[in-house]
Amino acid sequence: MITVEHLRKEFSYYKKATGIQGSLRNLFHRETLTKEAVRDISFSVERGEMIGFLGPNGAGKTTTLKMLSGILHPTAGKIDIDGFIPWERKNAFKQRISIVMGQKNQLWWDLPASDSFYLNKCIFHVEDGPYRDIVTELAGLLDVKELLNVQVRRLSLGERMKMEILAALIHRPDILFLDEPTIGLDILSQQKIREFLKIYNEQWKTTVIITSHHMADIQALCQRAVIINQGNLVYDGRLEDINALLGKRKLIHVKTAFPVAQEIWGSYGQVREVERTGAVLEVAQDRVRETLGSILSGLQVEDFTVTEIPLEESIARFYQKEVTPL
Amino acid sequence: MKKLWQYLRLVGVFAKYSLMSSLEYRINFVAGVAVEMGWMVIKLLYVAIIYKAGTDIGILTPDHILLFVGTYMLLTGVYMLYFGNFCSLPGMVQQGDLDLYLVKPISLQFYVTLRRLDFSLLLPEMVAGCAMIAVGWKRAGLPVGLVPVGGFLFYLFCGCLLTYSLFLLPYLISFWTVSLGGIADISNALWDFNNMPSLIYGRRLRDLGTYVLPIFVITNFPGLFLMGELSTGACIWGAAAPVVFFVIARLLWRVALARYSSASS
Repeated sequence: MITVEHLRKEFSYYKKATGIQGSLRNLFHRETLTKEAVRDISFSVERGEMIGFLGPNGAGKTTTLKMLSGILHPTAGKIDIDGFIPWERKNAFKQRISIVMGQKNQLWWDLPASDSFYLNKCIFHVEDGPYRDIVTELAGLLDVKELLNVQVRRLSLGERMKMEILAALIHRPDILFLDEPTIGLDILSQQKIREFLKIYNEQWKTTVIITSHHMADIQALCQRAVIINQGNLVYDGRLEDINALLGKRKLIHVKTAFPVAQEIWGSYGQVREVERTGAVLEVAQDRVRETLGSILSGLQVEDFTVTEIPLEESIARFYQKEVTPL
Repeated sequence: MKKLWQYLRLVGVFAKYSLMSSLEYRINFVAGVAVEMGWMVIKLLYVAIIYKAGTDIGILTPDHILLFVGTYMLLTGVYMLYFGNFCSLPGMVQQGDLDLYLVKPISLQFYVTLRRLDFSLLLPEMVAGCAMIAVGWKRAGLPVGLVPVGGFLFYLFCGCLLTYSLFLLPYLISFWTVSLGGIADISNALWDFNNMPSLIYGRRLRDLGTYVLPIFVITNFPGLFLMGELSTGACIWGAAAPVVFFVIARLLWRVALARYSSASS
């Protein structure tokens, strides 16, 4: 459905020295520099897939989404979305996609969100019947039925984002691009939006590509992650395989009845945290059973749990270039 | 035809929403009308002085001048209706705010330049302009018939289209320069050249403002047509100039848009 091949995007800008002298010099001569926002990215997406697009700030995630949605022309490379080239910006293509950006809005600030929905209905040629059905259904799922006739400026950030998502779905797009849809939202709003997106994707088989710095968004919604760093693709695969790729490590959280010295914890595995009566140890997955056996026989253990290494941490190692690009 | 109907319908929605939005802030709306009326009174003073002096300017009597200034006021109101969209264009380019407009299946130029319509600026200018045209027309004894009225309305329409195209051009430069204050000020000053009939200017300036940068075509041609003072060539140019400049504005819009680089997130 979506094929991306060797995508590259460069921006040119000019060098600015600090201070008034730099500004005056700039008035007469500007040195143009080039920034490679996206260097070489290739991947493909199947219909109905939900993909987490991850990377640190400035990695090129938003730029890639903008190229996928036709907002930006790439410097080089190809994108094919069901036979469409996005930056040709054909109306038939625009009818099939939608983009929601956490930091931008399309709703009329002084009017109720329902007015902006109606404008989108007119723009996308949605018939009256389906339009009413969509608004009723989605407003119910997002729990904003009572807010449809409240001016947008009176809504909270979370409520506004729900309305933005609803506005983006009025024409039932086949593909939905979400750029940090939960940015700045409280936990409850984040959860509601996640639940909504999950149900929406399952029900309508909409292809979703989502970027987020909230790992909980990605873990709740996506099975597959694409990680980019400094414009390069560094991982494309199942979310749950990321830890395996980083050495199949596990964390053992132990609570003891009495204080234990750090040196003793160190004899069981790599110590991550030590409290007065407990510690977190990192061990290889194939040594978990053996290590636990030793701890249980050697110490007075009150409680223990074994967990995966937090995904944020694993992904941070990609960001820190501890893992080489694909 | 279906597309035209869709766009007209959208203009209707934009107009309704803009009015609803501005009525949310009643005092601001009333203040906008009051300020515009203040400007209008200043313009009317010019006409009052001309009436007081009772002198003609070339072939123009004070009654003719009243009609010309009325045309200028009416077209100023129409221009002010969507002028705010032009002003916000540089900011949208700078902030990357065109992003969400670019993914809509309608003309971006149409959407961005007509989405907000300011009725507080249109209403006073329109009412006063129409009244001045009617009074000037009657007092000057200008003909009333299908051809004069039809021709006057036709050149008014041409003036509206030409205003849109001609005055959009400087704002498109923002795709290259991003910041645009100085250029916008010059274009606004050019518009004010029309607050008196072009016949008060010298021949060279008049030709320049008619055939090179046709700002005089906008508010002078309806009145000149009515007075029978437009040559055949000028009649044709009056109809052609809006088309020529609309095509230029469309082409430049496309070139400019290719330069759009959004903004970082």
